[in-house]
Amino acid sequence: MAAITKNPLSPTQCVGPDYRPESKKPIATVSTEVPFENVHTLPQTPQLIALLTMIRDKNTHRADFIFYSNRIIRLLVEEGLNHLPVVEHAITTPVGRSYAGVQFQGKICGVSIMRAGEAMEQGLRDCCRSVRIGKILIQRDEETSKPKLFYDKLPEDIADRWVLLLDPMFATGGSATMAVEVLMSRGVPEGRILFLNLIASPEGIEPFVKRFPKLRVVTAFIDQGLDEKNYIVPGLGDFGDRFYTM
Amino acid sequence: MADTVFKKAHYSPPWQDVCIIGIAGSSGSGKSTLSHAIVSQLALPWVVILSMDSFYKPLNAEASAKAFRNEYDFDSPSAVDFDVLVDRLRDLKAGKRAEIPIYSFAKHAREEATTSIYSPHVLILEGIFALYDPRVLELLDMKIFCEADADTCLSRRILRDIAERGRDIEGCIKQWFDYVKPNFETYVEPQKKVTDIIVPRGVENRVAITMVIQYIESKLKAKSASHRAELKKLGQSSEANALSDKVVILEETSQLKGMNTIIQDVDTDTEDFIFYFDRLATLLVEHAMNNALFKAKTVETSAGNQYNGLVSTGAVSAVVILRAGSAMENGLRRVIPDCRTGRLLIQSNVRNGEPELHYLKLPEDIESHQSVLLLDPQMSSGGAALMAVQVLVDHGVAEKKIVFVTYLAGRMGLNRLTSVFPEVKVVVCKVVPDYEERWIEKRYFGC
Repeated sequence: MAAITKNPLSPTQCVGPDYRPESKKPIATVSTEVPFENVHTLPQTPQLIALLTMIRDKNTHRADFIFYSNRIIRLLVEEGLNHLPVVEHAITTPVGRSYAGVQFQGKICGVSIMRAGEAMEQGLRDCCRSVRIGKILIQRDEETSKPKLFYDKLPEDIADRWVLLLDPMFATGGSATMAVEVLMSRGVPEGRILFLNLIASPEGIEPFVKRFPKLRVVTAFIDQGLDEKNYIVPGLGDFGDRFYTM
Repeated sequence: MADTVFKKAHYSPPWQDVCIIGIAGSSGSGKSTLSHAIVSQLALPWVVILSMDSFYKPLNAEASAKAFRNEYDFDSPSAVDFDVLVDRLRDLKAGKRAEIPIYSFAKHAREEATTSIYSPHVLILEGIFALYDPRVLELLDMKIFCEADADTCLSRRILRDIAERGRDIEGCIKQWFDYVKPNFETYVEPQKKVTDIIVPRGVENRVAITMVIQYIESKLKAKSASHRAELKKLGQSSEANALSDKVVILEETSQLKGMNTIIQDVDTDTEDFIFYFDRLATLLVEHAMNNALFKAKTVETSAGNQYNGLVSTGAVSAVVILRAGSAMENGLRRVIPDCRTGRLLIQSNVRNGEPELHYLKLPEDIESHQSVLLLDPQMSSGGAALMAVQVLVDHGVAEKKIVFVTYLAGRMGLNRLTSVFPEVKVVVCKVVPDYEERWIEKRYFGC
């Protein structure tokens, strides 16, 4: 089946470590560049591309899909956490050397957009042991075909926390936009929200980051675009189905 | 940059130029008892006794039938496969791994399996013809001839052959007079001429054993001193150089710096230390995975779209440098849950600081793996790292496939490693002053 692409110019390049000559690096499709400062894409290492190849492949079994997507999610969380504030903190090591380090500042919480976002909770917990996790259920209203908020359960003091918003697929950004609005209505400042996703579309990113210029998007890969049904191309199919039921 | 930066430095591990002692003597003269006495008095873990019985030629059908009738002459030099023996001894002398054949006396044939010998500091070659072949003599550091009365020899031989080699008493006696005795006079006894020391009365001869031990110890001491001197020299030449481009240092983001702060803080409790160290080790292993070779692969998604991605071209395995390296195994298993893992134990000698290889167990087909991660969270002078890489190279792993993964490393250690092995990749989290005592394993394991 041929995909309909609005942006057929997906970049292709040699991928590999710096010490290896170009001729020895294999060629693969890499993340599409977008001109927004608040969008952070993971470094396009051969390992990341190989992980993405595994989870996109329809022949990958569910156990492998879960394992490899978890590895990417962990990298996403690690990158996301880099955007949290720190303060200087000098320490002494067990061998008596002094180290001008830093200390993490501010409380955090995760908020997953159900159901696919919940698949990212394990990766978050791998990096932040006892993190609080709120949930938001947003479904498409069949009558208006607009996203509608069905349910939310968030930490009471969420307004004082940094929020890692979790949803693996960032297609049109409809649910994400609604989720951010919910968070802001609970008093979370826009600049304290980090939206973590695995695969994003340029069409989804642009209006979203223009609407929330202080919010940061952390993604593993920006795909070429959306098809006529607003699915990400090439994407990986329905993340929730592949993670939970297929 | 000066040309010297690119010049490959040389490192010879302490197991190169192994000290080989040859012990010859009549059958039943007490060669193997003497060998064991030397081993137990040396009290070192890396002394190997190599019996020449392993090097009997495999017999053809005719010879084999003769052997079962006790008519085959095992006590003539022509029964020994000197070519294979010389070959294996040369490998060991060069510091390589040697596969030693196993000879079955019950079947009069070589077994399929072999025994691996690797990295002994002392090798004792014992057999009636240990001093026979001039090519072997060239490789020996000390030549010993064991002497005993002929009747003592005969009675020992009968007892041994019946108990261990499945022969009957008549066969033993027939062998003795048909072959052993005449051969002794023709071939064995003349070896005395090339001997350094003749030991009468075998193990009872304490004076002789003490002399042998003292000689071996002085050889080892000189070798250890030259190994340490060589390590030191490697350090001096590489201190000033810039780091090789094969050394990948993790970018110090604020999150990484925060983790480094917790991990390095002497006041961090064990639970937090382990949690953050595991997290960091996972990141290090993720980075190390980029050295693997990938090839292009186009896949189809469940929605029917194509994606031009990559796929790894082979297995990645790991080798843990004990004890500290095992602190990184949790991180390793998060990235490759079923990773095949070899282990080696390198300990620094408490007296002189020389790194010593104590234990080694590698996956059998390690040389065929696509990439081998060598895990050790701390590298200061690089002695253990050099030794571990040399072990892998000796086992046939190509230098360029090796990725040394470490948390803290000294600049000098990094330069030593990459100047001796310029194709080895290094992934390191933080470069710290040279010569830092190992403390990560103590914190991780709590002792």
